[in-house]
Amino acid sequence: MKKKKEHYWYILPSVITLVVIVIFPTLFLWYVSFTNYDLTMGWEERKLVGIRNFQYLAFEDKDFWYSVKISLWFMVFTVVVEFVLGLAIALLFNRRIRGKRLWMSFLIVPMVITPTIISLIWKLMLNTEYGELNFLLHLFSIHKINWLGYESALWSVMMVDIWEWTPFLALILYAGLISLPQEPYEAAIVDGASPVQVFYYLTLPLLKPVILIAVLLRSIDSLKIFDVVYGLTQGGPGNTTELMSMHIYRLGFRHTNWIGRASANAIVLLVIITISTTILLRIMRRGIKEGY
Amino acid sequence: MAAFPNYIRRRKIKGLILDILIAVVVIGSVFPFFWMVMTSFKTRIQTIDPSVWFFHPTLENYRAIFQKRDIFIYINNSIIVVVLTTLTSVLLGTFAAYGLARFQFNRKEDVAYWILSLRMIPPMAVVIPFFLLGRFIGLLDTHLLLVIVYLSFNIPFTIWMMRGFIEDIPRELEEAAWVDGCSRFQAIRYIIFPLIAPGVVATSIFCVIQSWNEFSLAFFLTSFNARTVPTTVTSFLTVMGVIWGEMAAVGVIATIPILIFALIVQKYMVRGLTFGVIKG
Repeated sequence: MKKKKEHYWYILPSVITLVVIVIFPTLFLWYVSFTNYDLTMGWEERKLVGIRNFQYLAFEDKDFWYSVKISLWFMVFTVVVEFVLGLAIALLFNRRIRGKRLWMSFLIVPMVITPTIISLIWKLMLNTEYGELNFLLHLFSIHKINWLGYESALWSVMMVDIWEWTPFLALILYAGLISLPQEPYEAAIVDGASPVQVFYYLTLPLLKPVILIAVLLRSIDSLKIFDVVYGLTQGGPGNTTELMSMHIYRLGFRHTNWIGRASANAIVLLVIITISTTILLRIMRRGIKEGY
Repeated sequence: MAAFPNYIRRRKIKGLILDILIAVVVIGSVFPFFWMVMTSFKTRIQTIDPSVWFFHPTLENYRAIFQKRDIFIYINNSIIVVVLTTLTSVLLGTFAAYGLARFQFNRKEDVAYWILSLRMIPPMAVVIPFFLLGRFIGLLDTHLLLVIVYLSFNIPFTIWMMRGFIEDIPRELEEAAWVDGCSRFQAIRYIIFPLIAPGVVATSIFCVIQSWNEFSLAFFLTSFNARTVPTTVTSFLTVMGVIWGEMAAVGVIATIPILIFALIVQKYMVRGLTFGVIKG
């Protein structure tokens, strides 16, 4: 009988740690989201205000809806572009190349380099007057672009995100490509399928589980983005690049000290991410069961 | 040229185009890093002149960050936090991974996926409660608080990575050791551990990279004493503009160790990016 419980000794330390440092604080966040607490008042003065904070976000805070809208747009746009480019790069590498390992190791750089640091370097390169990008464009006689101005700041943040994370999809899709079974391809060639047909009817369906996992992981991460936005624009100019995490930061810490409202906003983000995570994990589970 | 049949020439041209595309991808990937290294060796005037590609390098920026800005303190903070959180999560996580890999019990997969889902929680949802709790118990701006908070993403990551590595090792090896009279713990110590050692190293390196790079949590939970390297670079965003050269010098020093680590685990990169789900 004692043997049956043996696994507890291995798993419980981690599970207890996680409950204490993740579940308990999350419950606390729920509680704070129902109070009117702000950083300028003493903790004892807080009052429970029910769903007042959520009502504020929904009906009074236009910037909240704007941040939700651009966060979703940001997620869809960057993930789609990263997927298309990533797939193209994966296919590009999927042939015999001298020094392939070396070339692929360069692709890792954008992903592992400290995001805040490199986003500041991007800020330097994107400067209208003395940025390298406008200088290089000038060599091709393209006019100066105000990269971080009102119209283009969001596009620039997306561009940096795409630069940073396209290699993520490229590497995963490449790993998927090289592990595909050979037999269906031989059969397709025998049947006289064109390369486009092979790609469309064979490669894509076979890659589907890998694609789904990579795309969903990216989607979830892109909803959470904070550091790159902070480095590049701090949400500005105005609130044009104020993605959801940035809005929570502004509500709770920067301009106003409304921790209660910021918590409510964090809960909204948490719920959106929990839903996406549930979908991702269900797909992963099915994928692992099928085995690939 | 006429000696070449047409299709060979066409194939050569196609190969050349594809090679050029690869070169574009590679250059695009490393250009910002290259530009950071360049900037760190430039004088203040040169940093805001994009036409300067060839110049006499100066070490002024490096001197400045070590003397004026005490970058050592921040590097030290980062190292303390990263090492402690990595050791703790690899120790706890590897045991949990062993439990998940080698035992059958009710709702095992539910537990495993619940753990993984914790990895996805947005930092903004973690920051607010930890900021308040840290204030109440006076842990704000301490290494300990960051070490604890970082466990929240490192432990789930370690469990999933190590589970994959342990499941790669045939059960029979362990069972043979039990038959020879080893206890389960001895079998782990002498049979399993040497075999998963590369996995432990790879997992630790991934934990180091993600903890070292972490910004959001460190930004809110530290202010002076426990500030880590990524949060100091934002202090270069002053009203007077950014001191690009010094910022780039900090960047070079902070990112070169990370890039070396990443090269070491290149083989496991896909595994690390997908929590061990895709073996790559």
